[in-house]
Amino acid sequence: MLVLLHILKFKFISFIKTTFDFRFVTIVRGLGSLLVFGGFSIVAYFLSYEITKFVLEQSRTGLFLYHRFISMLLFVFFMSVNMGNIIVSYSTLYKSSEVNYLFTKPVSFTGIFVLKFLDNFLYSSTTLFLVAFMVLLGYGTYFGYPWYTFLGVLVFVLVPFMFLSACLAVLVLMSLMKIASRWGFRRVMMGLAGMYFALVFFFFKFSNPIKLVTQVNKYYPNVDNYFSQFDPGFVKYLPNNWVADFLFFMARGEVKFALPYAAILILVTLAMFVICMLVAYRFYYRSWLVTFEFQAQSNSLQAGRRMKMFDFRKESILPPQMESLLKKEYFQFFREPSQWIHLGLMTVLVGVFVLSVRNLNLGLRVTNVQTLTYLVLYAFGGFLTCSLALRFVFPFISLEGKALWSQISAPLDLKKAYFTKFIIGLSLILALAVIVAISSNVPFVRLSQRRPLLLWFGIFSAFWTSLTLVTLNLGFGGYFANYQEKNPIRVASSQGATLTFLFSLVYLIVLVSIIILPLLQYFNSLFIFSQFDPRVLVIPGTIFGVVSAALTAFAGVVGLRSLQRDF
Amino acid sequence: MIELRNVTKKFGNFTAVDGISLTVQKGEFFGFLGPNGAGKTTTIKMMTGLFTPTQGEIIINGYDIAKNPIEAKMTVAYVPDQPFLYDKLTGREFMYFVGGLFKMDKKKLKLKIDELVEHFEIGDWVDKRTEDYSQGMRQRTTIAAALVHEPLSIIIDEPMIGLDPRSAKIVRETLRKKAQEGVSVFMSTHSLPIAEELCTRIGIIHNGKLAFVGTQEHLELHKQQYDGKFESVFLELTK
Repeated sequence: MLVLLHILKFKFISFIKTTFDFRFVTIVRGLGSLLVFGGFSIVAYFLSYEITKFVLEQSRTGLFLYHRFISMLLFVFFMSVNMGNIIVSYSTLYKSSEVNYLFTKPVSFTGIFVLKFLDNFLYSSTTLFLVAFMVLLGYGTYFGYPWYTFLGVLVFVLVPFMFLSACLAVLVLMSLMKIASRWGFRRVMMGLAGMYFALVFFFFKFSNPIKLVTQVNKYYPNVDNYFSQFDPGFVKYLPNNWVADFLFFMARGEVKFALPYAAILILVTLAMFVICMLVAYRFYYRSWLVTFEFQAQSNSLQAGRRMKMFDFRKESILPPQMESLLKKEYFQFFREPSQWIHLGLMTVLVGVFVLSVRNLNLGLRVTNVQTLTYLVLYAFGGFLTCSLALRFVFPFISLEGKALWSQISAPLDLKKAYFTKFIIGLSLILALAVIVAISSNVPFVRLSQRRPLLLWFGIFSAFWTSLTLVTLNLGFGGYFANYQEKNPIRVASSQGATLTFLFSLVYLIVLVSIIILPLLQYFNSLFIFSQFDPRVLVIPGTIFGVVSAALTAFAGVVGLRSLQRDF
Repeated sequence: MIELRNVTKKFGNFTAVDGISLTVQKGEFFGFLGPNGAGKTTTIKMMTGLFTPTQGEIIINGYDIAKNPIEAKMTVAYVPDQPFLYDKLTGREFMYFVGGLFKMDKKKLKLKIDELVEHFEIGDWVDKRTEDYSQGMRQRTTIAAALVHEPLSIIIDEPMIGLDPRSAKIVRETLRKKAQEGVSVFMSTHSLPIAEELCTRIGIIHNGKLAFVGTQEHLELHKQQYDGKFESVFLELTK
């Protein structure tokens, strides 16, 4: 324990020294961060407040359904934190040089585990905490929470909820390492991806939000009652439901009914942490040793000699420099488990979304409802593009690492190297964004008796947002490049990355805001069978184009200049 | 031929390299020495385009590295002080990657790689990912990769670090042979015996300024002023 505190003390000193650096550049950067974080917090607060107000007062959804929607969002949030932690933990618990160093010192395996687990949790969840807290603040302000309630909910509900997800993640990871030593790493990862796909798919299939809405609406206007009899049996065992029910009873001012949910959450979280420690005590070191076996298997001489797809030895129709750069990126990506596993999981999530939304029955022919539904799906698509760009494009330049000397000192126009990265990033993000855009527009095309206007708009928008977000993340990724960090997830959750993400979200909010009016007019014309005047698209379309083009140009210049800095 | 004309590099208020001028002729083996932090690596990084000079010009085989970087870099081989490689590539893949950046013909590149792998005794390691390499194996791979395109000049920073005696001997002989073939070699080193053994001319940098530039004969004259040892000359000049 004392050793652990000793290490933590030095980690804290290091953190303080890097945080309170009073050089001019750092101060300017800090102020910039503060501005963006502050701005984003305010936007998150108001959005949360306004959405709560809209759902409860305008669309009169009722407290129960609103909190069931919150529960579903929390489920997705829980799964995202969980998957994110599995991938980050693999790097921090098994591939970190700090762990290698600590294993040679008289520090217990459990101690090292706790240290890296907390490090991992705090590092990767800080921004999520900020977002979650601001959303809570907006939500709670609507219900008139006193100030201490916010703190209480944050400390005793939100933190345990996320901590539980993180605990579960490392437990899954340690089990995976154990199983993978017998069955092979790739096979087990495929199995995990399949399992998550099934979990998310069946959650939404059995939760059946449309059925729930229909059942609750039969009791209209008494929709604020507690209709748990309509919940499928399994949901009462899920932590997202405990949080949602806690919030539901708090919103109704029934604290005595709310508290047991917080108590269950805290107890389960503590129990899970204890189980984690016990498992770590028995398996952490052994599973750490397994990683060397994986490395030896993946780096065998036979594997190295075998002629592979896109092998450097093969002739290519591409110019030599372009060929070299593309092949290097390909091998770097697909030989790094944290890269291809994360991409696989993200693709699985996109698959779940596509399958769920494709057959969405939009039902009501009410302008406000359909506009809101469209905006939610549109925002989700944009958010997904933001996340994908942040995770895969932002670290692109940092991941060159110190080996970048080989490109800078070569007779290579660095614009070419930059352009190669841009093309790879854009192809990946655009493909996924277009799939999401098409699938989320299909129900609306059905609703409009096959008028394809929204579908074309979706594809157009997916193209522009992908282009802008890829340029933004690549450019800012270059500006904030950290060539020392080899872990792509840590690069994607650094301060620069967070700033870029918030900047991307602001861009997204601008896009969502400018399409509200045309959408309202479109659905209105659709439901009253009048002609939609396309001229209403001119001003929003111009703003859309100008904002996107300006950001693309700005980020492109920033990125290219970053490569011309002293290395 | 490598030519530095009044080259200066400043980092904020700190001047790392202060108005250096020197020329390395074709076929010359130039040793660049100096204590830690004297400005050796900064000078080399400016010569290879990794740093932009604050002032002055660097001409590599007739091309200004700032104005015609592509043409200048096409003629030069650079080996950095730390042999950073792409961890996920094998040594062979890294060499193909570098060859591709120099727009080499694939058949010629294959022959050259095979020759260099044998010459530097990289053996089976060449088909393993570099993440498993020792420091010496990384260094050998970096030097081999630098030579794939038959450069006119070689700029090499601390080449012997991490090499076992046999590898160090191979590198020394390779560099000497290249100089004899007409390649201009610019080598930074901390090792005074290696500089004395290999270099036809030596420069000593101290606090960003050239404290000494001269041939072995000039160096001999300097040595006579002390106790006949290069070490004493070096210590006196960098005091």
